[in-house]
Amino acid sequence: MRPRSLPLVLLAACAALAGCSREITRQQVAEFVDQADAAARKRFAPEICELRGKDFTLDLTFHGYEGRAPSQMQITRKLYCQQAGAFSRLRQYKLERKSLDIHMAMDRRTATVTAEYIETMPYFEPDIVPKTPDDFTHFQIVESRDESVVGLEDGDLRFLSTHAEAHQALIGKDHVQLPYD
Amino acid sequence: MFGALAAYKLAGSGDTPSRAFTGLELAAADSGHTGTCYALDTVLIANGLNRNTVRTWSRPDKHNDGEWSLLLENVVQGSNGPVRVFQKFTFTRHGEQLWLTDVDASEGIPTGLGQNIDGLLDGPHGMKSTPVDRCRASNASGYLFPPKN
Repeated sequence: MRPRSLPLVLLAACAALAGCSREITRQQVAEFVDQADAAARKRFAPEICELRGKDFTLDLTFHGYEGRAPSQMQITRKLYCQQAGAFSRLRQYKLERKSLDIHMAMDRRTATVTAEYIETMPYFEPDIVPKTPDDFTHFQIVESRDESVVGLEDGDLRFLSTHAEAHQALIGKDHVQLPYD
Repeated sequence: MFGALAAYKLAGSGDTPSRAFTGLELAAADSGHTGTCYALDTVLIANGLNRNTVRTWSRPDKHNDGEWSLLLENVVQGSNGPVRVFQKFTFTRHGEQLWLTDVDASEGIPTGLGQNIDGLLDGPHGMKSTPVDRCRASNASGYLFPPKN
């Protein structure tokens, strides 16, 4: 090969590599969701936050235990990360994933992930400031269905958005054995 | 996930106005735009706005450094689940003063300019914060500014 051809070859190779690197696989997405679930179980706010893209938004529809009209809110990554920081202060928490469905986009640059979860954690009454992390009478069990778009941002997989619908139920503190961790 | 999180708070960060802007005296929302004797940064600190909420500064016009909006956000535990609560204050520079020119807020939170100025001043009044230079004299006056004895 003549030397003057080399730049063109390199350019073509780089372009091909760049094209490949912008695509994601179902396996990568599945591992990414596993990683996100593990971060949630650890309640490790920096990682929970890091896995969200810079323009991440969460749309949440929340059905409270009292059966009133659901509350709805949309929050940005900044507020989501604040919540993750607060979440890290919980001493008892269980996350179970009941299902996971990954739908790859035609261009394989994003995937839509639908997952169903059950979370169990202490329920703190609104307008009452708990004196200790044990200052609660009920656990809340939240069943949610999350639909998230996952894609690459700066070369790493990130949640780009999540739409979640959650249903809350309460259960007496004595009826649940949830270890401290 | 985390749909059932209770209300918690954390400070925010990001693009912010210069000290030359936040160090200006906040004016009242009266017809004469009477000075309040407190710089905006003093008012914000006295109200704890730098640590207890997610705070985002933005410019309505990217080319105009004389107008900034401050968005304060939090998630609180409402009667039926988590709710986003916000207030957005827009401050505009007029000479050596800052005028509160707009307030947007979640449902149920007052948006009147005068009402919000009065509320913002509760902080520095209650904490006896340091006033701006012109109000350090014994005969200084300002909007709702407590006279020295």
